[in-house]
Amino acid sequence: MTDRFLPVAELDTLFDALAADGRRIIGPTVGDGAIVYEELDGAADLPWGRVVESAPGRVRLGDGDPARAFDYGLGVTAWKRFTHPPAVPGARFRREDDSLRVEAAAGSPPRLAFVGVRACEIAALRIQERVMRAGPLGDADHVARRAASLIVAVECARATDTCFCTSMEAGPEVSDGADIAMAEIAGGFLVRSGSAAGASIVEALDLRPATEAETAAAAAQVRAVREAIGDPVAAEGLPDRLRNALDSPRWAAIADRCLACANCTLVCPTCFCTSVAVASDLDGIEGTTERRWDSCFSSGFARVAGDASFRPAVADRYRQWMTHKFATWWDQFGMSGCVGCGRCIAWCPVAIDVREELAAVAPIGLPSGPPPWPASPGSGRAPEIGTTPPPVRAIARIRSFARETADTATIGLAITDPAILAAAPGQFVLVEQPAFAAPPISISRIRPDGLELTIRAAGPATARLIDLPLGTEVAVRGPLGRGWPISTARGRDVVIVAGGIGLAPLRPVLDSILAERPRFGAVRLYLGARSPADRLFVDELSALGGRADLEIAEIVDRAGGDWLGRIGVVTQLFDQAAWDGSRVTAFVCGPERMMRATAAALERLGVARDRTWVTLERNMACGVGTCGHCQLGPFFVCRDGPVFSLAELGDAFMVEGL
Amino acid sequence: MTASATVVRTPRPRSAVPTRPRIGVVKLASCDGCQLTLLDLEDELLAIADRVDIVEFAEATSRRSAGPFDVLLVEGSVSTPDQVEELLRLRAVSHRLITIGACATAGGIQALRNWRDHDEIRAAVYPRPAFIESLAQARPVSDFVAVDGELRGCPIAPDQLRELLTALLTGRRPQLPDEAVCLECKRRGVVCVTVAGSIPCLGPVTRTGCGAICPAYGRGCYGCFGPRESANAASLAAWFERGSPADVARLFAGFTAWSAPFRAAIDTYGGPPGAPVAGEGSTDA
Repeated sequence: MTDRFLPVAELDTLFDALAADGRRIIGPTVGDGAIVYEELDGAADLPWGRVVESAPGRVRLGDGDPARAFDYGLGVTAWKRFTHPPAVPGARFRREDDSLRVEAAAGSPPRLAFVGVRACEIAALRIQERVMRAGPLGDADHVARRAASLIVAVECARATDTCFCTSMEAGPEVSDGADIAMAEIAGGFLVRSGSAAGASIVEALDLRPATEAETAAAAAQVRAVREAIGDPVAAEGLPDRLRNALDSPRWAAIADRCLACANCTLVCPTCFCTSVAVASDLDGIEGTTERRWDSCFSSGFARVAGDASFRPAVADRYRQWMTHKFATWWDQFGMSGCVGCGRCIAWCPVAIDVREELAAVAPIGLPSGPPPWPASPGSGRAPEIGTTPPPVRAIARIRSFARETADTATIGLAITDPAILAAAPGQFVLVEQPAFAAPPISISRIRPDGLELTIRAAGPATARLIDLPLGTEVAVRGPLGRGWPISTARGRDVVIVAGGIGLAPLRPVLDSILAERPRFGAVRLYLGARSPADRLFVDELSALGGRADLEIAEIVDRAGGDWLGRIGVVTQLFDQAAWDGSRVTAFVCGPERMMRATAAALERLGVARDRTWVTLERNMACGVGTCGHCQLGPFFVCRDGPVFSLAELGDAFMVEGL
Repeated sequence: MTASATVVRTPRPRSAVPTRPRIGVVKLASCDGCQLTLLDLEDELLAIADRVDIVEFAEATSRRSAGPFDVLLVEGSVSTPDQVEELLRLRAVSHRLITIGACATAGGIQALRNWRDHDEIRAAVYPRPAFIESLAQARPVSDFVAVDGELRGCPIAPDQLRELLTALLTGRRPQLPDEAVCLECKRRGVVCVTVAGSIPCLGPVTRTGCGAICPAYGRGCYGCFGPRESANAASLAAWFERGSPADVARLFAGFTAWSAPFRAAIDTYGGPPGAPVAGEGSTDA
């Protein structure tokens, strides 16, 4: 369609048309000495004649041409404030006697028109949409908000000193992705529609076609912006360069300056990470959840049960942020996580410039070794929404309880929902109750009419779960994650290695194998525990001890005089291994240190890396790969795992602080 | 495999959280403002009073108790020998001891005297200092006894007190994030006063919980919630040094000056305003 021309004096007719389409208009305006995106009443609210002058750690509003409204640059926080808001209500849980009622928050998002969206911001919205539409469930709130919003882009006519969209191939030209695309030229605007919704609004304005001179003026204007920005970041091969820079000394140097204040992530238009906060009444009878913006720079983000953190050092967190934006985002989503808007540079309180840091961490010509993990598919590992069965939420009644150790018990849940009963060994569920965070729990037995969960009281939520009276209801979300590939072990010998509570997710493996025992070769079970009193499923295992087709060896870290078995670490049980590693498929679960040692020992015994399977514990929160907590290099553990082969993980399993 | 043995249990009260816990509220050297936050929870006060037994709270009731306490909220810094003795006694009769406010958790504004000569300070404040028994330094409660939890701030935030009480009663872990004030600023959509206005702000190194009140009104955070985890005060101070060194020390020399990261920044930049230059004062405990 041809470009149209909207005289500047008639800009309000566009606002009126958007309002007539039932939309609230969100756009740039001056607030607190900066440009903010807020609801606008009309064109008069636009920042006429104001321009953002930005440098690392410094933003000021200056004066420009008072006849122009869109020369300002960029607003402080991105449009994600409206498509992925800072706080979104989750579910409401209410106990009524033994039963539990759950209501998911529902509501239709407001119809909005975003006016003044830049090319880099369109790219960012598209990136977030890819993230939030990743399978198996995606994020329904985001999808609905995005569907209810209309994008009115205005192409940049001016560059700021922190812009680098050119290097990220995200601007400055507005090509597609806008419902209406405009360019501000002398006397008015070139207007072009980019969608049916946009076209109907533009047609209603009844504008004259733009002249060739007007079109040429707009083209020259954006060409000048491109030239002004130049190409500040050498993007050629950047993901590979970064993947090979995980041990760069620069990370520590950045951490000396970095405040880990999280500003860069919260102003970033693509950062999507969130955490869930719970609230309740004083009795814990009724509770609600709320999803809030969080950041990989906050310490709690990578914290797991027992208060251990996977990224204790600020250097780890900065590495996580930068490698995610520019490298592992490609692994996950087949695209860059950066659009070069420069907000992270401008709004860093201590002026850390990501353009400089990229050049320092991953310079061109850095000798590159093999990539730390196998290449991901071009479109990224994250499947599109709906390509795999989505998890469900179901009410489950606690029907059995068995104490395993001083701090661990197995609860049996009666469940009728077939989607959850279809769980596979190695999958997990989130267990919800009012007033508590929902911990991810591995399934320790799958029954035709329910699940068993073996839970260690590692914190208040898990302590409460194994303290609830029989008959109490909880909510279960699942099944989540990718389980053990047991069928690939058919016809082969099987080695199962468990450390402590790591036996819980392996019990369904043993159940499955014993259910079709003749299809497998030799089956050997190696069990480690802190002490004899910390062993799980003792009665069951002693009952199995008599079977000739199952070899069980146990060892404990420490024991008193009444323990007649072996003392030491689980890998010592392989000392007398007389088996042929090449015939073995191994399933391993325990603390990460134990799994690393076991992996090395199995490799020495000739077990192939693609036949050694481990299950990782990370801070899994949403269970579907959209909250960001459990990211490990190219993976989201909750969705891509938790079960991985050593070959898949590569160095992602070995690098500390990743 | 055989099924696990199934044991039918009867519900039992959780030992850690009695059904109606005995709560005490006491103070050491402080202004009482944090205790009053409890009375400010107007909407919930009746419900709270119904669910807990407030056995000691001099600001609110003439009913007194020497303990024992299931939960004891302690306000104020430890500034006198008597307070040390009282604190040790209270710790012995308290199942959980929670410090509330900048004084109890970091020493408070009065800890600024820790940089000065003790006798000189006493003579400056009191006409007859000989009658005054005080410690050479005002220090946080955690320097003397084990602390089970803390609420930061000057004064503490009502929302955090509500969360603490709810968590105690429901048995969950209180959600008291140790992240920077900046996260709250950005969630609220507050424009950064440092970047957009060159106003020095301790938000990046200060623990959240206040709702970013000060930046929301266009002023810098003065750190009343004290340092967050991994507070890189040295980097922020170096950035502020574009002003004068004395100003940098003054920025950190507030209600939580005696906290380790802020104290280090103050010492690096010449001590708090008015303090004798290094070496002249008595800063030994």
